[in-house]
Amino acid sequence: MTRDELNNQRLVKEANEKHLHFVTRRHFLKESAMGFGALALGSLLGGCHFGDSNSYAQTLFDPAHPLMPKLPMFPGKAKSVIYLHMAGAPSQLELFDYKPDLMKLDGQLCPQSLLEGKRFAFIRGVPKMLGPQAVFKQRGQSGAWISDNMPHLASIADELSFLKACSTDQFNHAPAQLLIHTGTPRLGRPSIGSWVTYGLGTENQNLPGFVVLTSGGRFPDAGKSVWGSGFLPSVYQGVQCRSEGDPVLFIKDPQGMDRDLRKASINAINQVNKEEYKEFKDPEILSRISQYEMAYKMQISVPDVMNINDEPQYIHEMYGTEPNKASFANNVLLARKLVEKGVRFVQLFDWGWDTHGTSPGDAVDIGLINKCRQIDKSITALILDLKQRGLLDETLVVWGGEFGRTPMQENRDGKQMMFKGRDHHTEAFTMWMAGGGIKKGFSYGETDEIGYSAVSGKVTPFDMQATILNQLGFDHEKFTYQFQGRPFRLTDVSGTVISDIIA
Amino acid sequence: MQALNFKKIILVTTLLVVAVVAFIFFTRRKPVDFSAQVKPILNKKCITCHGGVRRKGGFSVLFRSEALAKTESGKFAIIPGDPEHSEMIKRLTSKDPEERMPYKHEQLSKDEIEILRRWIKEGAQWGDHWAYVAVQKTDVPSKPDWAINEIDNFIDQKLKEEKLTHSPEADKATLLRRVSLDLIGMPAPENISQKFLNDNSEHAYENLIDSLLASKHYGERWTALWLDLARYADTKGYERDDVRDIWRYRDWLINAFNKDEPYDKFLIEQIAGDLLPNPTDAQYIATAFHRNTMTNDEGGTDNEEFRTAAVLDRVNTTWEALMGTTFACVQCHSHPYDPFTHDEYYKFMAFFNDTRDEDSYADYPLLRTYNDSMQNKLTELIEWMNKNVSPQKAKEAYTFLKTWQPAYNTLRCDSFVNSGLSDTKWAAFRNHGFFRLRNVELTDRNNLIFRVASYKKGGDCEIHTDDANGAVIAKIKLDTTKNYDWEIEEAAIKATSGVHDLYFTYTNNNLKKTTDNGAMIDWLYFTENFPGEGKPGHDEMKTVYWKLLVADVPTTPVMMDNPSFMHRVSHVFERGNWLMKGEVVEPDVPHSLNHLPANAPHNRLGLAMWMVDKKNPLVSRTIVNRLWEQIFGTGLAETLEDLGTQGVPPTHRELLDYLSYKLMNDYNWSIKKLLKEMVMSATYRQDSKATDEMLQKDAFNKFYERGSRVRLSAEQVRDQALVVGGVMSEKMFGPSVYPYQPDGIWLSPYSGLTWIKSNGEDQYRRAVYTYWKRTAAYPAMVTFDATSHEVCTARRIRTNTPLQALVTLNDSSYLDMARHFAYRMQKEAGADVSKQISRGYEIIMYKPVSAEKLQALKELYDDAYSKMKNDADKTCEIIGEANEHNNPETAALVVVANAMLNLDEVITKN
Repeated sequence: MTRDELNNQRLVKEANEKHLHFVTRRHFLKESAMGFGALALGSLLGGCHFGDSNSYAQTLFDPAHPLMPKLPMFPGKAKSVIYLHMAGAPSQLELFDYKPDLMKLDGQLCPQSLLEGKRFAFIRGVPKMLGPQAVFKQRGQSGAWISDNMPHLASIADELSFLKACSTDQFNHAPAQLLIHTGTPRLGRPSIGSWVTYGLGTENQNLPGFVVLTSGGRFPDAGKSVWGSGFLPSVYQGVQCRSEGDPVLFIKDPQGMDRDLRKASINAINQVNKEEYKEFKDPEILSRISQYEMAYKMQISVPDVMNINDEPQYIHEMYGTEPNKASFANNVLLARKLVEKGVRFVQLFDWGWDTHGTSPGDAVDIGLINKCRQIDKSITALILDLKQRGLLDETLVVWGGEFGRTPMQENRDGKQMMFKGRDHHTEAFTMWMAGGGIKKGFSYGETDEIGYSAVSGKVTPFDMQATILNQLGFDHEKFTYQFQGRPFRLTDVSGTVISDIIA
Repeated sequence: MQALNFKKIILVTTLLVVAVVAFIFFTRRKPVDFSAQVKPILNKKCITCHGGVRRKGGFSVLFRSEALAKTESGKFAIIPGDPEHSEMIKRLTSKDPEERMPYKHEQLSKDEIEILRRWIKEGAQWGDHWAYVAVQKTDVPSKPDWAINEIDNFIDQKLKEEKLTHSPEADKATLLRRVSLDLIGMPAPENISQKFLNDNSEHAYENLIDSLLASKHYGERWTALWLDLARYADTKGYERDDVRDIWRYRDWLINAFNKDEPYDKFLIEQIAGDLLPNPTDAQYIATAFHRNTMTNDEGGTDNEEFRTAAVLDRVNTTWEALMGTTFACVQCHSHPYDPFTHDEYYKFMAFFNDTRDEDSYADYPLLRTYNDSMQNKLTELIEWMNKNVSPQKAKEAYTFLKTWQPAYNTLRCDSFVNSGLSDTKWAAFRNHGFFRLRNVELTDRNNLIFRVASYKKGGDCEIHTDDANGAVIAKIKLDTTKNYDWEIEEAAIKATSGVHDLYFTYTNNNLKKTTDNGAMIDWLYFTENFPGEGKPGHDEMKTVYWKLLVADVPTTPVMMDNPSFMHRVSHVFERGNWLMKGEVVEPDVPHSLNHLPANAPHNRLGLAMWMVDKKNPLVSRTIVNRLWEQIFGTGLAETLEDLGTQGVPPTHRELLDYLSYKLMNDYNWSIKKLLKEMVMSATYRQDSKATDEMLQKDAFNKFYERGSRVRLSAEQVRDQALVVGGVMSEKMFGPSVYPYQPDGIWLSPYSGLTWIKSNGEDQYRRAVYTYWKRTAAYPAMVTFDATSHEVCTARRIRTNTPLQALVTLNDSSYLDMARHFAYRMQKEAGADVSKQISRGYEIIMYKPVSAEKLQALKELYDDAYSKMKNDADKTCEIIGEANEHNNPETAALVVVANAMLNLDEVITKN
């Protein structure tokens, strides 16, 4: 389907959906006049309002059509999100946060003032400072500092908005990943992608609305909970698409069952179901019939969109993709294809950024450079490719880890380590956003002269989440779901939209 | 014309006057009902700004005392008996938009204001929310002719009010399938179903129910439900999500349900089995209910933080799962809508806060399960101690051997100097280093038993009191332990009295570097030398004691309270933050509910007694409502997790109360009796066919004018396919199993766990035995709305997505079950294809297939056969192997069987 066709389809769908909305609303009103239906559903949706939130949430979940496209609270600039999470936490000090003063302190003992009252995952006693292990230059018109570890990305510095003073309060991977993706360091809350698909539904019913792609050989530390639906209905959890094996679990017909036969069997199933409907008149049977039709279409469209072999050669070169292998670059190209087909939220996790310096593979001057090589070309290609397809304006791209790295060299268990590494650090790290109504060539927030903590423009995970929701057309304070007796929201009880970076 | 109209006007006027007079007459006589009329208005229109956390203008309508108090303006919002001077009424009717309440919201209707005015006039009496008032005996409405038991009387009353009628009884086949899925979670075993279908006596249906209730599969079905509430999993959760052996708790549940253990006993054992006198192993294992909380093994995490998280989870689960109340709000502030205050949360938490578990890697405390010969030795030892030492010492020894408690975990050590908590789990020694263990009771202790792993010969450990250079009470030689693994050792300690901080120093000059670890200690148990010195059999018994102590035996995490010398003080957490400890609190239950029974101790046992006290308004209603939901598809109060003021009000409150009262008083908490009453009712037996009129009047079947139709649960979908395929394993109990799942589902960092497919019949066990890994739960079941079990699931939300179709269409497990189903059809129906398909339909639905359905399926067969007959490869692929079934006829039938397992009526309970 071409972009234009998709847009047309989108328009028709929006019209249909407005009608449906109206019908559903009327249905609810009728029900509430009778006293029950609306209440029953309302309780699932946020029936009670703590404070002055409007009744927006009331009609968001229709069990029969849970992924039907829905309108946001206000027109958002972004229609979809590609979130690139570097699991393990990349070092800001070797990538974007240039600190020449730290070089001067290299090898000196860390002053007590930086250690008192602080908790680190592995640093014990008094560690030494570690200067930047990369060469930095200013790039583009905006003059953003980007190290030579990311030569391709450096060439598109003017497309990006940097958040230089990100912070968190979790210094272990799993809780920090949960915090940034679900708004709490504990398990049990919906991930940001689940919130977004719950709120907006999805535009292509033949594909899942929220797709997750992982690379680096491991899942993120917090496991599948970082794309879980928490207390939202399970239909909103991220669907993991895989570049090896079935692209979506159970999407492939069993061996020996060709497409025609599958079609024939779904026809037979639905024919029997229609007979059943004649007898029982249960509307749920009708939605089952449509779900089976949709499953059949997904079986074609998912493998199709997950197949990158047919992409032109220049695209492969641009992304550095290697068809038929699992790689981050392949996932990035898939992310573009998915967004292009109307998928709402694409989440990439790349494992292997935890640069402690226990071995060459996790040293900031060896392993980190390899990790950068694995992503640099493809993320640059993603921005350029989205741009050339006219999709960058409505696609928000987010890049970052779950926390930062210390300006000190890690001294695990108080020992001098063989390789150069940095410990987990909560007080400063860099993320960036691009497209989706975010300023271009901009940098927000600053850290002190050694990159230890924020001096201005400090950003919390909640601020980030609030900003992403804002770009999609949601007021994060009013976008709630009723659970355990109170309305929950992604940003819990805090978060401010980072208005400085909004174009 | 004119005259006629005039007459009409007079008539209408007269009628109106009569109506108004009648209205005033009848309504004036009945005082306003606070719960039914006033509270809903307050909750809907006022409480968001004037209740709990928010008390705008210093006014709150949560409690009567608050509502009648002076507000910030100095005025009284409510003056009982005097609506005209009550500020509330003035504000509700004010013309000034800045004054008028609800502020910036739509004005209350005249009726609503009138209700509030009359309520104040009548004295502003408060009433409690229905769910917080003890269950009373309820009058049963009159019996309609279609009724079978009292449930129908209640249902009929509402149907009449709503001008609806009940449906006729469903046919026998439908009832058989429905009640089998409901009571045992799968189609009835053939002997039971055949007996019923051939039984034409009037007791046929009741006999069927009795057989199903007596089936061993009954316990498995209800355990599956309970595992959601207990957030059961075979792993510990969080990042590493490592293995936890806790399946004995699952088996305990199956047994308890099968024995129909009374619900009060069932709860007492799960909440406080360890506190019962001389608890049995089973009673200990029951307490694993609350050991299903998660444990965080990620290096660098604070054990106290995650211990606290587990305790909070126990509080929230106890309320949500067992008392239908969302209590988590109260963690941070007083409940905005329900009568629970902030400090009451922490008083309640105090019941759970004094337990031995501390987020340790091993999940201590663990119940050690001995084999029979060891158990006999233990009995012998305890008898000897009873006779030769004292019952007190015998009891201590028993507890220690069974649980290794009460020992100090070294994860609570501090003041590390050239030492540390290895992976934040165990205190580790380095040369010339030391650490501290605080507040150790040493009175009457002259022996230390400890669990140690030592890596270097020649270690010297000393224990000093109160300072690293303080008096030495023990000198311990630490040589390498076998395979550098954990061992249990003992050391003599110098008699010292009182409570002391202990400093553990370590020197080992064989360690080359100061930063090398020499040894680690897991736990320390301060005790007396093995008693009974000089008594006959002493030496032999001491050997037995040590053999039992070090035996490598299976374990299960259980609950256990701290002894008094380890008592943990509980605090209020300011704004819910565990690091901000406020005032000290003692265990207690919320003021607004029943009091602790007079004979109840202020511990978990007392709490359990309070829960099952007949005055407790929530426990019986919650279980009745939950069982009703399982049987009828929706709870009498839809929000199983919240019976409070913000939950959905019950459709049939009197029925809920009637059944709750009956459960406690007439049925003595028998779940089987209650279920039997539900499924015996005429309401339950109704046909589920809907008409357009029904859909228009009662789309969601809230009034039970027809039988309910519900999609099967994740477990039922699997179990049914296993049964119709004739492959379900009858094996019960034991460690969880690994049915087929696609590769690449388990990829936890730092854990070498892999999914190794089970062999033989373990491939075909019921769903309840499936290994449950929290961070990567079994995908085919999760797609059908099973949850990860990280926290309690009080109610599964049913969804309908295309991903479900993909599971039952394409998952290899389902194809495998379809194959066996096809083989069975052939075996039981002979060579004719139509007969085979008809037989297949009958196996699932217990009734003949209609001509139209048969035709659709037969056409699919023909289609498949035409493809298979000339394609040996496809045929073999469908069959999976070149066995005796490898022929085009069977392959085509497998395609049909696969379709049949996907029919809506097959994955729906009708």
